[in-house]
Amino acid sequence: MSEVSARRQQAFRILMRRHMPRALRVAQRIVRDPAEADDIGQEAFMRVWTHAASFDPQVAKFTTWLYRIVLNLTFDRTRRRTFLPLEEAGDVPDLGPHAVERLIADEELSLLNRAMAGLSDRQRGAIALFHMEGLSGEEAAKAMDVSAKAFESLLGRARATLKANIQKIQETGSYA
Amino acid sequence: MTPEQFRQLAETWGGDVERWPEATREAARRLAASAEGAAVLDEQGRLDRLLAVAPEIETARADRSSLLVLQRLAAMPQQNHRPSWYRLLRWPALVPAASLACSALVGVWLAGAMPYVHSPSDPLSVMSGVFDVYAMGFGSVQ
Repeated sequence: MSEVSARRQQAFRILMRRHMPRALRVAQRIVRDPAEADDIGQEAFMRVWTHAASFDPQVAKFTTWLYRIVLNLTFDRTRRRTFLPLEEAGDVPDLGPHAVERLIADEELSLLNRAMAGLSDRQRGAIALFHMEGLSGEEAAKAMDVSAKAFESLLGRARATLKANIQKIQETGSYA
Repeated sequence: MTPEQFRQLAETWGGDVERWPEATREAARRLAASAEGAAVLDEQGRLDRLLAVAPEIETARADRSSLLVLQRLAAMPQQNHRPSWYRLLRWPALVPAASLACSALVGVWLAGAMPYVHSPSDPLSVMSGVFDVYAMGFGSVQ
């Protein structure tokens, strides 16, 4: 990162190769649109380049800093957005080699993606950081720029809402 | 920790006690060893596994995004990459200021390099100087 601060493009390329998938993954989990996630990932690394000098490794890890940039960009965009069709509720990932198990898993994931669409962006962000990225509660709170207690509350509400949405979808076909 | 607190923590943090806040782990491990506790964790663990599945990001897609970032950087005006002192080189008064500074430097150097000769002030020398001046005036071609 110090080499990126010194404007060395080769170091920046290596940094992007390592961390771009991470940025895209988190952005896509929240915005649920691959094209928009790509835009956010690119903008995030433009900010990494232009603000590299302000990064302090004593204060936070690079990944925490990157997550914060991605989340801020994502929340800014979704705040401006007024409408997102439910059909844009993300791709279903390929889970395993066995077709029947995959079908069950696909159905579960499809149900989960629909239920996730009913969460707020911040709730989806909390789930992405804690469950998908495997950050600890403290690290995720730091990345989201909230207190550990606030993060606990956010994650708890996210999981509770998700469960309620899943139940509603199973009963009525829609979480709304 | 009561079973109800254990359940609430599991609903918030999921089925892996080792990922719960450190202060709660010791007591949670004891409850997790019971059949009731294990069932609570198992139920939450199933949701955890679903939530942990990440969208698939192909390498080509990430590389394409990286390339677009590099293209945007290349299109940025170059002065943004230059250090702050570079702006001084574009200062309009740079040439006159540099000339003045050079003249001052040469003056200081000359003053230091030339031998300092203190003209004598006794009456004989003064008279000699005066006559030399007159002699130059009368004897010159002017």
